Amino acid sequence: MNAFQNLDTSEATAVRCTALRKHFGEGDARVEVLRGVDYTARRGELSFLVGPSGCGKTTLISVIAGLLDTTAGEVTLFGRNIAALPDAERILFRRANLGFVFQQYNLLPALTAAENAAVPLLAAGVRRREAVDRAAALLDRLGLGSRTGAYPRQLSGGQQQRVALARALVHEPRLIVCDEPTAALDHATGESVMELLASAAVHPDRAVVVVTHDNRVFHFADVIAHMDDGRITQVVEGRQAAVAVSAH
Amino acid sequence: MNWVGLQMLRHDRAKFAAMVVAVALAVFLMQNQAAILATMLSMTAAQIRDVRDADIWVTEPDVECFDQVKPMRDIQLQRVRGIPGIAWAAPLLKIDAIGRPEGGKLNTVTVLGIDDASLAGLPVRMKVGRADAIRELDTAVIDPGGHALFFPGEPFRSGRSVRIHDRRIRIVGISDIAAPFTGLPMLHTSRSTAAALNRGEQHMTSFILARSAPGTDAAEACRRINGIEGLRARTTAQFAADAMWFYGSQGVPMLFMVTITIGLVVGAAITGQTFLMFVKENARQLAMLKVVGTTDAQLGRMILMQGAVVLLLGSCFGSGIAAAVCDLVRSQPFLRSLYLPWEIAIGSCIALAAITGIAIFASFRHVRGLEPASVFR
Repeated sequence: MNAFQNLDTSEATAVRCTALRKHFGEGDARVEVLRGVDYTARRGELSFLVGPSGCGKTTLISVIAGLLDTTAGEVTLFGRNIAALPDAERILFRRANLGFVFQQYNLLPALTAAENAAVPLLAAGVRRREAVDRAAALLDRLGLGSRTGAYPRQLSGGQQQRVALARALVHEPRLIVCDEPTAALDHATGESVMELLASAAVHPDRAVVVVTHDNRVFHFADVIAHMDDGRITQVVEGRQAAVAVSAH
Repeated sequence: MNWVGLQMLRHDRAKFAAMVVAVALAVFLMQNQAAILATMLSMTAAQIRDVRDADIWVTEPDVECFDQVKPMRDIQLQRVRGIPGIAWAAPLLKIDAIGRPEGGKLNTVTVLGIDDASLAGLPVRMKVGRADAIRELDTAVIDPGGHALFFPGEPFRSGRSVRIHDRRIRIVGISDIAAPFTGLPMLHTSRSTAAALNRGEQHMTSFILARSAPGTDAAEACRRINGIEGLRARTTAQFAADAMWFYGSQGVPMLFMVTITIGLVVGAAITGQTFLMFVKENARQLAMLKVVGTTDAQLGRMILMQGAVVLLLGSCFGSGIAAAVCDLVRSQPFLRSLYLPWEIAIGSCIALAAITGIAIFASFRHVRGLEPASVFR
């Protein structure tokens, strides 16, 4: 059975974590990183996951993305329990349904902007010419039409992050996971990247989960979940979100 | 994704170049040394193989190679001629003597005295002149290396002479035979001329060259000759193989094998180490590819492609250099027999690929063990 089939398209919830636990190491070296996380992210929303360093945010999105196994609990993406998928299917599921934006961009220095943005399509077996053309068209929509042939070293931080955003969007995934997308950028650039993320990534059929501790961009959030010591301690929705979490 | 792998390889030019150069040097070293070894062994049998008209060599039982001479009594020739299945048999006299060209330096020469009547064993190919001109007394044809030694810097031409003992031997042609293992000038002359140079020797037959009769297998003819006491008959191929084995078991090949092994190990170690380093330094990029859904199989093919490109380019460069050096060296008359067998060219590349394959496999294991989530750190 194809990994992308039987996805729940009716339910509003895109990500649901239930009593999620994750530890690293054993014995004296055992560290409990997630201590029973209950978390949901809905389609069409920009969900922020915030909290101090070491509280487990990155581990949580790694588990959500199927990059780490859970110790206990359940993660469902669009109604599909990804922990139950065999490794090979999980990779195919991730390839088709998830997009990623990283703090350090993680662009391949050997590839141009368009080629970097085309990587998920190439991984999916799309022909190179077609993949690069689609990526270039997307970069054009993201305001980088004149820089499609530039290599990462020839781009500013903001431009690189836009390329990374294009890479996350090019295969039209159902969930985008962003890890500190503005941490390496100045305020103005971070603001513009978030504006782009909010306008280009948010879609009625797609959820966007952003891990950040950059409170300058909290006002973009539809929902903010605050994490501390491996647990979700507070979830604030709507316009009060930024104010409430900043106060927290 | 293979294309992405190639772009990554191309981008890291320093490591790419280092790996290609390491493979090229290793391939060159292995091919060069193996070619010299193969050529040397081939040269030990060159004078045997150069005789095309006979297919049987008859010697004293103890003789192992062309350079071991134990003269036989002339009656042995008659015995061989009397064996059923032998079409003809002719004597070949081989002597070493001291020769000196006009105004030149002394040098040891190998003189081959060919049966005056049949001219069996005469060089087939000539660079200058006609081989059968040696029928005239006190004439000879000389090999290119001998000509270069006696008349350095002079173009190949006949008409010069070499004094051997008290006789003046006129050079009537330049033969195109393979270089001898000993490196000595090789003079083909008539047996009667050679006999006159063979002072103090009673017997004038070093080898008996024979031809099996049509319908008779040469090996079978050899078995019949071996029934005669005091004779040992071998086909040309057997005698050549015995000669190569005789020299090959003297220890010289071991020295070459050491160099070839060093080339293999050093080349593979540098290539493998650099390749592994290349993969490890790109670990973050590879982890990112895993995150976006690239499978281990795709990454494996990518790494295999990278390794294959490095090996292919390095092998081509290395083989090209080895062939060019071989060609350059062959222009020297004494080294004219140097050759690079295709088996060595292919074998060295395969050997290096097999050893480097271990590094490629280790790199793949490293990539397989990469934690995709590490990209978030």
